[in-house]
Amino acid sequence: MKPKRTFIIVFLAPAVLSFLLFFFYPLIRTIIMSLYFVKGVADNPALWKFVGFNNFINLFHSQLFRQSLLNIFKIWFLGGIVTIFFAMLFAGILTSGIRHKAFWRSLIYLPNTISAVALATMWIQFVFSNQDFGLFKAFFRFIGIQALADIQWTEPNFIFTSMLIAYCFGSVGYFMLILQAGIERIPVEFYEASRLEGAGIIKQFTRITLPLIRDVFRTCIVLWSIAALNFFVWSQMFSPNPDPNTITPVYYLFSVVFGSSMGTDSNFVNVGAGAAVGVILTVLVIVIYGAVNLVIPERKLEY
Amino acid sequence: MRNSTPSLKKDMRLMPEYTILLIWLIFSIITIGWIFLASFSTTREIFTNNLLKSGIHFLNYWKALVTQNVARYFLNSAIYTCTSSIGILLVSAPAAYILGRFEFKGRKMVINTFLVTMSIPTVMIIIPIFAVMTSLKLIGSMFTLIILYIVSNVPFTVYFLTSFFSTLPKELEDAAAIDGCSPYKTFWSIILPLAQNGIITVGIFNFMSVWNEYFMALIFANKTELRPLGVGLQAIVQSMRSIGDYAGLFAAVVIVFLPTFILYLILSGRIISGITGGAVKG
Repeated sequence: MKPKRTFIIVFLAPAVLSFLLFFFYPLIRTIIMSLYFVKGVADNPALWKFVGFNNFINLFHSQLFRQSLLNIFKIWFLGGIVTIFFAMLFAGILTSGIRHKAFWRSLIYLPNTISAVALATMWIQFVFSNQDFGLFKAFFRFIGIQALADIQWTEPNFIFTSMLIAYCFGSVGYFMLILQAGIERIPVEFYEASRLEGAGIIKQFTRITLPLIRDVFRTCIVLWSIAALNFFVWSQMFSPNPDPNTITPVYYLFSVVFGSSMGTDSNFVNVGAGAAVGVILTVLVIVIYGAVNLVIPERKLEY
Repeated sequence: MRNSTPSLKKDMRLMPEYTILLIWLIFSIITIGWIFLASFSTTREIFTNNLLKSGIHFLNYWKALVTQNVARYFLNSAIYTCTSSIGILLVSAPAAYILGRFEFKGRKMVINTFLVTMSIPTVMIIIPIFAVMTSLKLIGSMFTLIILYIVSNVPFTVYFLTSFFSTLPKELEDAAAIDGCSPYKTFWSIILPLAQNGIITVGIFNFMSVWNEYFMALIFANKTELRPLGVGLQAIVQSMRSIGDYAGLFAAVVIVFLPTFILYLILSGRIISGITGGAVKG
């Protein structure tokens, strides 16, 4: 059916306008801003001072910003391996024919539905607590491993690891759901046939499951990468003030543009530097998309 | 691996699987349960491992709700979440309907634009919006955050609903047109009721993500009267920690955690199908 033109325009207008006003315009303005020195967030563009690529150069000279990039790289790489591994493990368990599948699935997804602030507080104030009631402390003391019970989870040398553990725990459920849905689309006959041919669980996994869910796997990598680049809440919860151990680019940007003093960091009070951080993150998103497309090209499988 | 009929023999073979799940279950129950009990105890009892020894203290909740403004934050969160969840649907559903069911020039481009928008880091749009809202004198009103929640969730919702609308039978509009139904009326009284399922699913999904949003709220809700729960909780955690009121702290955590937890208990099936439906298709 050929619809009326006005009808299409009326229905599309709100969504398209919201895109143009709240995504397109700000995006362009942030890119331009990254080339300027800007003192206040709300400063009129007439007050901006053009500095070329200096904001970017200063950022890469800043110890703290470089550390923030290293931190999200570790979150992305180490956290990614741990999270996807456990997500895969749980997806496998859920599709192995266990009883009460829906219950277990809801349970593992549960942390994703809780406010990250509440979840992080639970971890910091109870699980990782150095007080006697701290869960890890009490548990390791109970089973008699004093070395583990003595770990000060929220002290500088452990805080990054603690944060990563808590974050991965909360993320596993989401990726498990996506992977599980992918596995369930594979016809059961494939597994039955391979069993008759004498294939074990490992072989079934590497020869049937993995190749057939590669597109789902791809989605997981992209989603994980975007989440890692935007990492903020957990970092701020674990370190209410920017701390080199846990800082991430978004946290750095937040402090430079909206907030707390950054000590001797030269980017402090330069909103342009904040905009430059945003541009760097966007470039990283594009790079990751490109890399994923290169390594795992999209291939629609029919089965 | 994949197999569906449970039997006792299989249960035995699946022992390792059950063990892993049980560890997760026990960890969750201990953590949530302990915090729940601690929220009804006194701080002294928490530190001496004697939870609930002197009975149940509702005072912790009273302190959190009234003294620490949690009631106010709660109300704010409810306003932000309800208004923007409806707003998101009002903007997204018509657009998704057009994109999912009609062919026109530029359709593919619009769809792709929304797809790309989903992966743009939020920080890219925050600074200019803050500047514009300041010059419009809208910083310090709830309006700013509501608008932001609407626009930031529109791309995903349009994407989700587009694929949903396109699965409805193709003949609906033709039949309605023959009966003399205008396209607007067709959308409102024929298509929307049929799309109820998808709309509710994505609605719940948006509800939860707005309720739990933190970053934008931290920037745009910069005073007590504007703060939603998440940002409020963060402030409370800092202050209760410094005065050492751990019982009150855990009570505040429970108040933040409970609404989405209950919603999830009732609606977990729907929420989960929303996520898998949205993510796997891409």
